[in-house]
Amino acid sequence: MSIVADTLSGADTQRFWQRFRRNRPAMLSAAVLALIALAALLAPAFEAMLGVDATRVDLFNQYASPDATHWLGTDEAGRDVLVRLLYGGRISLLVGLVAALGAATIGTAVGLLAGYYGGRLDTLLMRSTDGVIALPLLPLLIILAAVDLAKVGVPADIANSEMASLYRIVFIIALVGWTTVARLVRAGTLSVRTREFVRAAEAMGARPTTIMLRHILPNIVSPIIVATTLSIGVVILLESVLSFLGLGIQPPIPSWGNMLTNAQELATRAPALAVWPGAVIFVTVMAFNFLGDGLQDALDPRATRR
Amino acid sequence: MLKLKTFIAAAVLATALGATPALAQEKARDELVIGVSQFPQGFHPNLASHVVLSLINGMTRRPFTVYDADWKLICMLCETLPSRAAGTIRDWTTPDGEDGLEVDYTIRPGATWGDGVPITTRDVAFTWAIGRDETAGINNQELYRRMEKIVAHDDSRFTIFWNKRTCNAEAINDFELVPAHLEAEAASEPAAYRTRNAYDTDPTRAGLYFGPYRIASVEPGATITLEPNPTWWGKKPAFKRITVRTIENTAALEANLLSGEIDYIAGEDGISLDQAIAFEKRHGDRFNVVFKPGLFYEHVDLRLDNPILENLDVRRALLHAIDRTAISERLFEGKQPVADTFVHPLDAVHTDDVRKYPFDPDTARTLLDAAGWTDIRKGIRHNAAGEPLRIEIMTTAGNRVRELVEQVIQSNLREVGVDLRIRNQPARVLFGQTIRQREFPGMAMFAWFSTPENIPRTTMHSSMIPTAENGWSGQNYTGFANPVMDEAIDRVEVECGAEAQTRHWTTIQQNYAEQLPVLPLYFRANAFVMPDWLSGVTPTGHQYPSTLWVENWTAK
Amino acid sequence: MDGRVKPGHDGALLAFLTRRLLGMAVVLAVMSFIVFMLIGLMPGDPIDIMIASNPDLTPADGERLKRLHGLDLPLWERYANWLGGVFTGDLGFSRTYNRPVMDILLPRLGNTVILLGLSSIVAIVVAIPLGVIAATRPQSKLDSAINLFCFAGISVPPFWLALLFIMIFAVGLGWLPAGGMGATDAGFFAGLKFLVLPVATLTIASLAGYTRFARAAMIEVLRQDYIRTARAKGLGPRRTLFGHGLRNAMLPLTTIIALDFGTLFSGALITETMFGYLGMGKLIYDSILGNDFNLALVGLLLATLVVLIGNFLADIAYAALDPRISFRALEAA
Repeated sequence: MSIVADTLSGADTQRFWQRFRRNRPAMLSAAVLALIALAALLAPAFEAMLGVDATRVDLFNQYASPDATHWLGTDEAGRDVLVRLLYGGRISLLVGLVAALGAATIGTAVGLLAGYYGGRLDTLLMRSTDGVIALPLLPLLIILAAVDLAKVGVPADIANSEMASLYRIVFIIALVGWTTVARLVRAGTLSVRTREFVRAAEAMGARPTTIMLRHILPNIVSPIIVATTLSIGVVILLESVLSFLGLGIQPPIPSWGNMLTNAQELATRAPALAVWPGAVIFVTVMAFNFLGDGLQDALDPRATRR
Repeated sequence: MLKLKTFIAAAVLATALGATPALAQEKARDELVIGVSQFPQGFHPNLASHVVLSLINGMTRRPFTVYDADWKLICMLCETLPSRAAGTIRDWTTPDGEDGLEVDYTIRPGATWGDGVPITTRDVAFTWAIGRDETAGINNQELYRRMEKIVAHDDSRFTIFWNKRTCNAEAINDFELVPAHLEAEAASEPAAYRTRNAYDTDPTRAGLYFGPYRIASVEPGATITLEPNPTWWGKKPAFKRITVRTIENTAALEANLLSGEIDYIAGEDGISLDQAIAFEKRHGDRFNVVFKPGLFYEHVDLRLDNPILENLDVRRALLHAIDRTAISERLFEGKQPVADTFVHPLDAVHTDDVRKYPFDPDTARTLLDAAGWTDIRKGIRHNAAGEPLRIEIMTTAGNRVRELVEQVIQSNLREVGVDLRIRNQPARVLFGQTIRQREFPGMAMFAWFSTPENIPRTTMHSSMIPTAENGWSGQNYTGFANPVMDEAIDRVEVECGAEAQTRHWTTIQQNYAEQLPVLPLYFRANAFVMPDWLSGVTPTGHQYPSTLWVENWTAK
Repeated sequence: MDGRVKPGHDGALLAFLTRRLLGMAVVLAVMSFIVFMLIGLMPGDPIDIMIASNPDLTPADGERLKRLHGLDLPLWERYANWLGGVFTGDLGFSRTYNRPVMDILLPRLGNTVILLGLSSIVAIVVAIPLGVIAATRPQSKLDSAINLFCFAGISVPPFWLALLFIMIFAVGLGWLPAGGMGATDAGFFAGLKFLVLPVATLTIASLAGYTRFARAAMIEVLRQDYIRTARAKGLGPRRTLFGHGLRNAMLPLTTIIALDFGTLFSGALITETMFGYLGMGKLIYDSILGNDFNLALVGLLLATLVVLIGNFLADIAYAALDPRISFRALEAA
């Protein structure tokens, strides 16, 4: 059986690392992202170290300039900007990661089914994919973001919790963001399903689910990884846009998007408040783009950079 | 990348230093561009209800009566205010035997529609008839329902017969006249009037207006241009053209003011107070920023049937724990005065003789201890049953200032051991459902918009608690039921003597401050950002806009 | 299609057109149903809000106004009524503006098409040379710089970029208006300066995708045999590049641009909001938040239609550019 030979083998992994390490922007991006993620994870530690409280309002210390305690100064409620950025980073990165994974899961399922079964199911699924791609998504997202959770049967304690806006955003982004992965997976499935080892597995009477998940999926995982990495950046950006439209993560939970939206109204008074969240969003999204790009080069040397 | 970096750096620098503000284009000073943040939805004075429309209406038409900048009732379209002393207000008994009133008015001489047709009692009768029609879709039909009939004596004199005996029957501020000669045909089929009226189908028609200005052109969503109305009977306005421009993003609105695209940001519907304060600091040399405390009463409604909030000591402790002075001083530079009750200090019926709740965390702690919340674990109080002192607060999502104040309150309350949880909703959900159907579990922060001497029957009387049975009618969202308040409200409506009025109004305010069904926060101020060359604009601080005196505006 | 359509293609063309148009109609019908139901799931009601904010209005007024606007009927009945109206050419009234929805939408649609069209053109005009330059010197410093610029463009929050532009060019330098549309009577060129910043904002976001795509397509094309042949025949590098390479590289680019229309429309919403540009994106957003059902619904459908037509035109352009593609093949794709 040549299943192993067609999936990522040890030699492949080595080659991947060799290629990836040579891609300096991607390496740098990975390092930057690791740093940001680490800092966000350590937010409570920073909080304790600096002796500040991310949620404690101090009206007598608004718009403070950076100093030893408040490295990036304070915001309009006298809260430490740095620590809030770190807590905001937790939320933004979490939303990006979970929504992108959710979208990838849906996309993979759709792509596998369409590619493996072909025929009418393929036509139906791919027509729907085309349809979703053609839609003006933002207005639809606005409607979805305004839907009353209680009316669609979400339990009241979830619909009413502080985190509801977070769940909702992850859900709706996953719901519309799966199309790219679906197309890639379908294309991959189409090329893999005629290969020897898939035929062999079919001949041995393996169930379709087994074939799709055990034999096909491992061979098309590279484009999924690349697309998911790229879409994390897109989601973080989208969260900020939805925040701008008043439909993102709701305060008091800080996210980069709502911090930036909040700050843009104060742009003339305290430009720094708009600069910091804007800059971290910019840098993070950029890093995810470079990382995705680098992964693509390293995972799929034959493809040209797109 | 380098380019981009310098680019961003330059931008930051430009914003940080406010570097070289562009010279405002030297426009001829006979034009004025007013910036607002919304566009009115429809132009019919009785079908649409919008703050920017009322701003425009102030320039294009005049109400019969209105409150002026000193909060005194005056006549605009009528000749003199009716009064009992002059015999123009008389008792009347309705056909059903109820106590009513008849009130005489005279249309001021020379009043003319913009197309030269005189304003007559025919227009009054027409407006009344349309207002009473069930199918025409007029907003405030209650007003017309209370006018049992209107009798015209000649072209200018008429009498309104009210089916109720109230103390301020002479005020008909919202009786907005519509021209019979232009609208009669559209109204012949009342159900279609909504979509056929000339205000919406042809808003630039001269005959629809009778103020100092008339609407000359409309670009939906963007601009409304006004030009002087040649048939205006009063003082000739100074500006040859007034443009009302809508820019919804307030940061962009500010930028437009600085770049000279607009001259003046209206206080009625412009930028938020903290934006205006920041603006004044940086550009006070070129602009004149006037802060006027308005009739928006910002407060927190409390669910009085909530097991925690039903305790009066807890309610008082909450108010003592919130540093309202700091909120007013630090966030709004003292421009938004702390409120003691819902009655504005400028209101004639206001009294200062009420219970006050200064910021005092120690008193708050004592009161909470007395209420049984003594067991403090991880900074949060618990009662004997081990339940945490946890309350939920809701407000309109996306309103930055409210969200900020909410977080200040949260922080304040945590200092005394109260765990305040924030859950916000978009305005349409909050007002459309949550508050209206009393679905907020603890506190709800929002603002009231009320007229001078507005009797708080719908908000405070025990018969006005919304329930499913009464079709959610009434606005007593806290569920406040207090016999003292009920009686004072019942009496203040009908006992019109000056002494009785003062007594009942005082009782109402004292009872309110004593019982605290609502935590009063502050009166919201509006910011009028005017260029230094504009004079004559007098903010009113109530719902009737400064544009009602637009003919006094001049350029220096 | 300009003579390239061989005899026997006419039937295929007709079938193709019919099927595509039918497809569009189906998409629109499905859209209208889904959107109508979703709108019904939104909480709150404009009349309730009106009552809540105006103490002079009684609940009886509310009931009466709801009945007048047909808001008391169940959702499916309202949908059926609306659909019935559509077949008689009546798309309904906007409740907030008191006008037929098309009266409100059409001028806005025109504005948005201008905005989207201009920024598409600018993006293409800039992207293709950038892509070609990058493709001819892969892995060079210049290539990296172009790549970086592209990534920057898709990584910046669009409203932040818009604010930056306003701060620099309108407030700081005073070169351009901070927003708005200019007077209607001032003519097209006077209105052009109002378009500069919105178009720039939109272009930067879409530029990246196009450039990277043009580069990839160009690299692919340059590897092909016929380019080598052309070079061997002695054609200059420039002629080879633009004569042979570009035209073939354009093919995949057209599809990308067409598929991108939906995204571009979403971008227009943000841009229009920031610059006070009276486009459809903003109108749809407002009408959704303002519960103006008819306006939101028809606006969304119109936007979808524009995107579908964009896709459709791209397919036709694709066929026109590449004689090898027949409509039959398009349909199978």
